Amino acid sequence: MHGEHIKHDFEPKIVAFVCTWCTYAGADLAGTSRMQYPPNVRVLKFPCTGRIDPVFILRAFQKGADGVLVSGCHPGDCHYMAGNFHARRRFAAFRALLDFVGVDLNRLQFSWVSAAEGGKWVDVVTELTERVRAMGPMPEFKELEHEEQWSTFAEATVDKSGAINTPELKEAYDSIG
Amino acid sequence: MNAKANKNHVTSIEPAYYQAITEAIRKEAAKILKDETVVGVVGYLPGRRKGTASPALVTTVEEAEKLIFSPACVNNLSVYLTKAKKGVLKQGKVGIVAKGCDMRALAGLMTESQLQREDLFIIGVVCPGVYGFGVERTGTLTDANIARKCRECTVHMPEGADVAAGTHTELADLTPEEAQELARIEAMPQAERWAFWKEHFSRCIRCMACRQVCPFCYCEQCLCDKNRPQAVENSPRPAGNMAWHLVRAMHLAGRCGGCAECERVCPMDIPLNLLNRRMAQELKELYDFEAGLTPVDKGPLNEYKENDDQSFIK
Repeated sequence: MHGEHIKHDFEPKIVAFVCTWCTYAGADLAGTSRMQYPPNVRVLKFPCTGRIDPVFILRAFQKGADGVLVSGCHPGDCHYMAGNFHARRRFAAFRALLDFVGVDLNRLQFSWVSAAEGGKWVDVVTELTERVRAMGPMPEFKELEHEEQWSTFAEATVDKSGAINTPELKEAYDSIG
Repeated sequence: MNAKANKNHVTSIEPAYYQAITEAIRKEAAKILKDETVVGVVGYLPGRRKGTASPALVTTVEEAEKLIFSPACVNNLSVYLTKAKKGVLKQGKVGIVAKGCDMRALAGLMTESQLQREDLFIIGVVCPGVYGFGVERTGTLTDANIARKCRECTVHMPEGADVAAGTHTELADLTPEEAQELARIEAMPQAERWAFWKEHFSRCIRCMACRQVCPFCYCEQCLCDKNRPQAVENSPRPAGNMAWHLVRAMHLAGRCGGCAECERVCPMDIPLNLLNRRMAQELKELYDFEAGLTPVDKGPLNEYKENDDQSFIK
């Protein structure tokens, strides 16, 4: 009954932003139908894809996600009539922006998964997880998170032990003491 | 008008050309103030130093006689109608001196119902260009000291203005520096693009000048100032900077009129207009939208078509 559990070197963190009416129900269907899919995905439920702000995606990447999935109702099926149509345009623009600043778009997946498509949910999640696993961890945003504005300056003036290593600064430091 | 200005394309634009515009603006501003068409005119007054100008709201005919237009009139005045001088619109119709790029901002603000066309008297300027930053501000405007945005200007004629001051004149053979830079970045490998923007954004000091000067950043409370929950870190650290500039570009997508004020005011010289240009280019490709001189019903990200491209969605 249980699938073979394979141990991987790298387990990617995937954040899924889903709409409550379609994809969340679709994922629920996959669960109640006992379908197996990678446990790497963390599902966050929203009222509608139209509620999913690009900021959420940035924040997910910053806080450690290696991949992001955004999923909602098929066009025309939106509970709020047009939320996903608006989201579609917004995300098309956002993708272009991320590409322009140098983010790999393979880490960002958009999909339409209806409440009846438990199988499609499993496919989408599995494919994204495996793709991101093959790509490895996403370093860009996480590195930014740990950097400070003066890091280049600090690198030049402070050695690994934290001691000040330029003569001018040393002199200034000594004069204080 | 000198003989050169009669031709459309010239190698330098003499102060006389701007003087003629100045005269026209003064005449028009004095007239509309006198017959009480407007309660005030937003325009430019001479700055304290030579070769500068400062934005001002003039309310009397005497003051209107001091208005100027010169290549130093770089500011986009439409920002005064959504922010600093917002209150003046309540008192009645307002006159505003607008270059082509400023008029695109006005049109965008009308699209978003922030301004009403009947509340404005637009004194359009047939603008041949303004000074760039860090250049010699001598009398003539040439290839050497023209602003980057003006090199690819498509709105020399302020069509749709109530009156237009000046005759059509452009500088000849300008290099499209911005388009070249955009093409250069797009041609970079992905990792290099990231490094390019990371370097630029990590210099950001989060002074928010880009937001203050933008006519479209008129939200009473900015998303990026909010905490609990905090969307974008608001201290000047690389992570928050990257997020702020991406959010800014995203919020301006499909709205930005391309006045490049954000780039002009940036104390750290971050090429912000490249982001705006890239987004504008994308929306042109995808939805055939271009910021124009006349208001539209809805911006490209506020409307949709059922058959929009969804090749990127599974």
